[in-house]
Amino acid sequence: MRAIVTRLAVLALAASAFVATPASADETEASSCLRTKVWDGYGDGWAIRTMTSTELEAGKTRSYLVSLYADNEYRITTCADAGATNLDVLIYDTEGNIVVRDETTDREPAIDFKPSASGTYYVVLYLREAAEGADKAGVAMAVVYR
Amino acid sequence: MLVLLISLFACTGEVITAPEPAPTEAPAAAPETPDVDVAQLRDEADEAALVPSPVETQKALEASGIDVKLSSLIPKHKFDLDANDMDHAAVRSGVLLADVLLTVKTAETKELVRRLGAVQKGMNQLNGGSDIDAMLEDIKDRLKADAVTRDELLKELDELSGAVIPELEFNGQSRVVPLIEAGSWLEGANLVARAVQSAEKNDAAEKLLKSPAVVDYFIEYVKTDGADKAPEAVTKKLEESLIELKGLAEKTEPLTDADIDRVVEVTNAVLALL
Repeated sequence: MRAIVTRLAVLALAASAFVATPASADETEASSCLRTKVWDGYGDGWAIRTMTSTELEAGKTRSYLVSLYADNEYRITTCADAGATNLDVLIYDTEGNIVVRDETTDREPAIDFKPSASGTYYVVLYLREAAEGADKAGVAMAVVYR
Repeated sequence: MLVLLISLFACTGEVITAPEPAPTEAPAAAPETPDVDVAQLRDEADEAALVPSPVETQKALEASGIDVKLSSLIPKHKFDLDANDMDHAAVRSGVLLADVLLTVKTAETKELVRRLGAVQKGMNQLNGGSDIDAMLEDIKDRLKADAVTRDELLKELDELSGAVIPELEFNGQSRVVPLIEAGSWLEGANLVARAVQSAEKNDAAEKLLKSPAVVDYFIEYVKTDGADKAPEAVTKKLEESLIELKGLAEKTEPLTDADIDRVVEVTNAVLALL
């Protein structure tokens, strides 16, 4: 389930904190982390296309179809909650070839991509390793450009 | 467990030990590269991040060597803000949102507040909920009081367009968000085509107007085949226009002057009904 990564969500969750436990608290943590990164990015000229979040089981993927313009710079930036130790992010072309991927072992990977031709790609989030005792994690992803 | 063992020993005189737990296998390490194939990607990919923002399109236009500000091409739309048919209100709100994003740094406060008010009215007609209404009211108030910089406002409006509105439920009407996005994209396509016309740089149109996946996504939600009532005029015209834009987006040959003129015509035809 995706969650709103916004002031509205923060307000709504704050309002409901005394009556119910949020169904996706982990996504909220991931989203809050991502929002900070994205807003900080404006200082370097980045701007938001999309921010979204989801829940990922260990070893599973979530894919997003994206259309990207030639010569714009893109960054796929992510945050996972403490349920993840290694989140990977990859971009595939429409033939299923990996165009770019992150090589880090952490839960906040980001990759940059400047397509030479406008076209359609797939962004794939991959929860390669969950934290001990966790079998899933909340994950937030943003597509930013400049 | 200890009590149980003591009592068993007392009864039998033999120590009964708990069975050793079966050794558990360590979970197999996930492979370095996920096991995905093209068919899976095609079938399962989420479209939440598919559609470019109007400001992103402006960046791409500049990267193509066209030094035209899309904001300078926005006409004085005369929209019927009282038309509350769902499709009409969604597409119109999308167009207005695009105009707000493209002009946030340059528009006069009065004009920006007017456009934001029109977006707010559309969100209410679409049952966007009290939170989005309050958020837009707050933005208008801060603008009028000169209590927000245009740079800060741009961030907030980017977030509104790219994260808040796409997550609203609109009373479970799944076509509302795609139609809002369609309105924004259509306005962007209209402005880009006009910028390309004035700059006479058709090669830029190849980069900016050929997006068949985006058009397909809109058609999927707009199509009215099998609908139990006649589509509204806006919906019918939008569907016709998107089908024609899809044909142009899928052209393998370069777009001609006539093709670009046609993009302007078919997008104008939708905008004129709003």
